[in-house]
Amino acid sequence: MTAATTSKQSLLSGGEIELIDHFGQPVSSHDWRDQCSLVLFGFTHCRVVCPRALARYGVVLDQLAAEGTPVRGLYISVDPARDSPQVMRDFLAPHPRFIGLTGSVEQIERAKVAFRVFARRASDPDDSVGYRVPHTAIAYLLDADGNCLAHFADAFSGEEVLARLRPLLAA
Amino acid sequence: MNHSAPLDALTTQQVGHLRHFENLSLQPANDWSLMKGIGTGQDDFGAYRFQLAYMAYALAITHVHRLPAAPGAFKPIFERLIAKLLLPETWLYWRDVSRGGSIFNAHLKDQYIEEWDPVVRDNIMYSAYVQSLTLLYNVLFDDDRYAQPDAITFEHWSYFWGGDGHRFHYDQNSLNEHLYWKMVESGYLGVACEPNCIFQICNQPAILGFRMNDLLTGGNLAEEVTRGYEQAWTQFGRLGDNGHYHVMLSEDTRTVRPNLAQAPWVDAWCGALMNMWNGDFVRAHYPQQLADLLLQEPDGTLSVKSAPRPPINGHVVLNDDSDFGWIAAWASEMGDEETLRGLLHHADRHMAPRWRDGGLYYPRNDVAVDAAGHRTLVEPMTGNVLLGYARLNVRDGLQGIYRGPWVRTHFKEPAIIEVGGGIDILQARFEPASHSLLFTLQVRADHPVSEAWVVLGRIDGRGRWTLLFDSQIVAYGDAVKLSISGPVQLRRTDAGLELRWSGSRIQPMRLIFANDCIDGPPA
Repeated sequence: MTAATTSKQSLLSGGEIELIDHFGQPVSSHDWRDQCSLVLFGFTHCRVVCPRALARYGVVLDQLAAEGTPVRGLYISVDPARDSPQVMRDFLAPHPRFIGLTGSVEQIERAKVAFRVFARRASDPDDSVGYRVPHTAIAYLLDADGNCLAHFADAFSGEEVLARLRPLLAA
Repeated sequence: MNHSAPLDALTTQQVGHLRHFENLSLQPANDWSLMKGIGTGQDDFGAYRFQLAYMAYALAITHVHRLPAAPGAFKPIFERLIAKLLLPETWLYWRDVSRGGSIFNAHLKDQYIEEWDPVVRDNIMYSAYVQSLTLLYNVLFDDDRYAQPDAITFEHWSYFWGGDGHRFHYDQNSLNEHLYWKMVESGYLGVACEPNCIFQICNQPAILGFRMNDLLTGGNLAEEVTRGYEQAWTQFGRLGDNGHYHVMLSEDTRTVRPNLAQAPWVDAWCGALMNMWNGDFVRAHYPQQLADLLLQEPDGTLSVKSAPRPPINGHVVLNDDSDFGWIAAWASEMGDEETLRGLLHHADRHMAPRWRDGGLYYPRNDVAVDAAGHRTLVEPMTGNVLLGYARLNVRDGLQGIYRGPWVRTHFKEPAIIEVGGGIDILQARFEPASHSLLFTLQVRADHPVSEAWVVLGRIDGRGRWTLLFDSQIVAYGDAVKLSISGPVQLRRTDAGLELRWSGSRIQPMRLIFANDCIDGPPA
């Protein structure tokens, strides 16, 4: 059968993204151009999806580093009202492969648009402040030039992601 | 002498529907004869785009489940339907609809601007059909013509207005990718049709497109999207308190519009499509939903209870809901033969079936019921498309396409790859165990004898062959020799073996090969 080809993802076409890292320092997507990055979106009050994804991808990034192909982990907040740099740093302490990124509402909106991420506040009586932020649970692999090489839905296991990442990183 | 057709051959009515699809596809550009519905401006459910798309889906179902070895009978029609789908007449409505202004979105009217590109924002009620049909075409016919750069181009220019015109370029992959990311951006709830209106129904064709893309690329977009879709809709529920599918969701307020009036088209259209990937759910709710929607007629036929559309601010809503047609299509997908039989019996008795240029259809009739109270309302979507779709479909027909229509060896098996206008294909399948292409041809009395031909392709490498009419040998040959002993003309062409025949009106044929694979006999 003649296979249809998958073109390179049309992400990050809207210019540089500027955010604040979890040390409180301004950063831009230009700063990620020295190596490949794995980008997740989430919020620190997330009870299930984010902790699970950070744990899974933390193992993946550990393994890649052990194989001599380090990849930077980036975790961008979709809840800037609650996720200050300090909150991000504390939340990511168990996940040292990841750098937390937050910013103003406008900065976060630009990042969401660039990655075509869905995130929308929803009321949640079980949350201490009364809301949660359902969001896209996709991990994006960026190359050193900022191109999106691949993305992985939340359903992928760590082993599946590793198997797909290795040839992409070796190319 | 006329021969009887095999048991698995198409019926006269099924052939008639296929011919009608072909007839409509052959109409010159912008000749929409028989297809214009009651609505204005292509913004309702009877629009050309829906008729074109569901004719193509019906072709796909028939090809896969009934005539798998006859791609030549379907491919040209499929191409012409896609070409018509790309005509400005089918998508220009979006320039107006994109501006919003619906009564139920009045609060948003200042937020929307005119958009000419018919697939870039919202409008999944059009874009998903372009996406799914082009990818489905690739899967069905192993032809990636719509994957070529700019193969999908939306272009409009007028001598009289609009300056330099508008042109938007896509291909099956770029369009698929665009819709996928729109789905992601929506949180997998789905892409809107009219601004702010996410219909469950209209996102199902996009899911079919994702699945076709996966079959071509080895990806898993469909699984990702359906999983996300299930999760996203959990908070709203798929059904209302009355057990019927929600009509739509407002994007801004996240409120669902339940199907309080129990409009049949909502359940039937949604169920007929969603059965592709969510069959257990659809099938579990089908009996009760259907019971609320069907009418038992005194003459033993079945009809449908349509929900009246109330006036809105003094306006009558003119819309081809096509309730009857959608219920028939849904019943066919469910394999509910009793219901389907009752509905088709009603259509044949009360909806004035008509034959035109060899094709069968039910002409538009805006009169709701006749003097005896029998439903006579026929929208073009019902009469041109959906009753034919239902008659050609099989249980889980669309689901079978979603799962994957072909076995790995399909495109190496002998098949009828071209068909003249004077021939109907009633049966066409390859039997691997007997190395035989079984096919039954019908000569059309309304076409010249010169058009009574087919080309049998994918036969190289299979060694000696023998052609039988019923059990009588009429020809045999191989790659070099050809010997004819019966009432048939054969000649080798670059594409295969051209067969011309003008004998009895229906003729079962069998082409038996010496080898069971293209690599020749085992050593």
